[in-house]
Amino acid sequence: MSLPTLRPWLVAAKASSSSSRTASTRLACAARHQSTSASTARLESQADWEEFRAQKSRVRTLIDTFSEYGSTQTDESAFHLRDQLHKPARNATISALLAAGAHFGHASTRMNPNFMPYAYGTRAGITVIDLDSTLPLLRRAANVTRAVARAGGQILFIGTRPDLKHVVQKAAERLGPQGYYVGDRWLPGTLTNKREFFRGQNIEKVKVNPDLAIILNPTNNVNAIREFALENVPTIAIIDSNVDPRLVMYPVPANDENPRAAELIAGVLSIAGREGVALGQTDKIQQAVREERKSRQRLSWRSS
Amino acid sequence: MSLLRQCLRRAYTSAAAGPGAARSSPLDTVRTTLLNNKNASASAPTGTSSGDRGSPRQTPPSSPSFYTTRAVFYDQVAQLERAISTANHALRRAQLLPLPAFARESLPSMQTVWKSKEEMTADFQTKMTLSRYRKVTKLLNELNEYYRIAETAGVADISQKIYSIVSLFESAKKDAYLARGKRKPVVLDAYGRSYTVGKRKTSSARVWMIPVQQPAPPAEDSKAKAAPIPMTTILVNNIPLNEFFPLPADRERITRPLKVAGLIGKYNVFAITRGGGTTGQSGALAHGISKGIVAHEPDLEVLFRKAKLTRRDPRMVERKKTGFAKARKRYTWVKR
Repeated sequence: MSLPTLRPWLVAAKASSSSSRTASTRLACAARHQSTSASTARLESQADWEEFRAQKSRVRTLIDTFSEYGSTQTDESAFHLRDQLHKPARNATISALLAAGAHFGHASTRMNPNFMPYAYGTRAGITVIDLDSTLPLLRRAANVTRAVARAGGQILFIGTRPDLKHVVQKAAERLGPQGYYVGDRWLPGTLTNKREFFRGQNIEKVKVNPDLAIILNPTNNVNAIREFALENVPTIAIIDSNVDPRLVMYPVPANDENPRAAELIAGVLSIAGREGVALGQTDKIQQAVREERKSRQRLSWRSS
Repeated sequence: MSLLRQCLRRAYTSAAAGPGAARSSPLDTVRTTLLNNKNASASAPTGTSSGDRGSPRQTPPSSPSFYTTRAVFYDQVAQLERAISTANHALRRAQLLPLPAFARESLPSMQTVWKSKEEMTADFQTKMTLSRYRKVTKLLNELNEYYRIAETAGVADISQKIYSIVSLFESAKKDAYLARGKRKPVVLDAYGRSYTVGKRKTSSARVWMIPVQQPAPPAEDSKAKAAPIPMTTILVNNIPLNEFFPLPADRERITRPLKVAGLIGKYNVFAITRGGGTTGQSGALAHGISKGIVAHEPDLEVLFRKAKLTRRDPRMVERKKTGFAKARKRYTWVKR
């Protein structure tokens, strides 16, 4: 069993470069790169495991103590790529869209002529999407989402690539009971052949058609878009430069290949949806207050 | 109750349930939802139905993965992923992850057997194809790894919670599967007797062994009489050993396990042998006695294995083949 090393890349380089090396020189080299930590023997008893954990927590405490004397950048204030999925921004900005690479379209030779209004130009054979048109369209889509959620509608997020699965899951979670997602393949006929697909459930009692569908990769889900059109479900989708924007009701021209761009857009839309859900609840409370007041007035009129 | 009070109560409980659920252990909530998903049907309609969408009697689907048409399966998979994430965070806080190589090698193996595809079909309420089964077992194996780490390190609260989720998917025949290929352990009965079976060629021997009761040594006697040599009886088909096996070779074969263990005067042996001839029956008896000694003294197992005493001799009489006089004997070669 080889000894743990401090600088494994050096050992690897040395091993690959010098082939003629005796056992003694190899041992000496390994000894020089030997780890300085306490014990690297096998952990046998419970006491060994406790000591191992205690040692790790001591190192951690040391790091945490001295971190306070260093930079003011903490784990909370530092940038993490994972925050875009777990803590998305409410409003998208042009710089955020640019950083996410949402302006990269597909090859100019493949550009759909109906996409022309949203294209900024061509560079290196790629269509560059005009983010000045993307931003208001994204805001419009967010307003639609908020309004549908406020009215108590069911909002469905579709992202059928493996990297989009967690995005749509999180987005649906934000909307609570009004959010739904499809992370794996959309089965053709889910809406048009609902009696077959939802055979075990009472179709009359359940509202199957969603009130809004947000699709993150429309090119792979044309079946779903067709079904939404047949069932009169409004659709929002990320439209890339090789796609006809008239495919959906509210196109959002952006890069559909990049998961970062999809996270940004889905984050904005899901936060708008969450706001709509909260507004809907306050609406209900206010309506209830108004009805209570009316019924009290009616009672007082009758009694007087 | 007035409508206003109803609405306020609903708003209050929905607000309180959010942070409240996070404070209680997430692994517990995962477990309860997994159990609920198993029992409830896929789209039990929720209670709240407002008249402002569709017809008033239609309720929205309860599961967020309703539109996948396999809501129970995808919800369960999402719950397992959540459990893995929670367990990971908990182990990191307990300084058990990331685990260096030397610590990982010290982990004992905790092999487990998951439910079969057919059993999981009932759990997930969807036909378990191989790809779905592999996806689920991959997640379960990861969760089992975390359980292994938590259990070995002795963090009982984390390991118990992980086990409560893992046990939902473990096969009922787990012990049978894991003990496959291993010898069933011999238990001594109420009187301290072991019952073992030995075989050799076509003979079989059923062997009962019981330790000889040592007489109490006389304490008062100052002359200290030498301890009496313990006498044991070996009965084969109710006949003493020396009468049943006149040949010394057979007797040697039978008493060899006792000699190797140094326990000649310790056990009384009663055996019933059937089939074969003298060599076969004596070999079978020796095999049965070896297994009986191992049952009484488990520490001798390694020694007996090294001495090849617990091995059932696989040599059997070879069949006669056509073109040969016997199994191997060829007919006399004729030049013409």
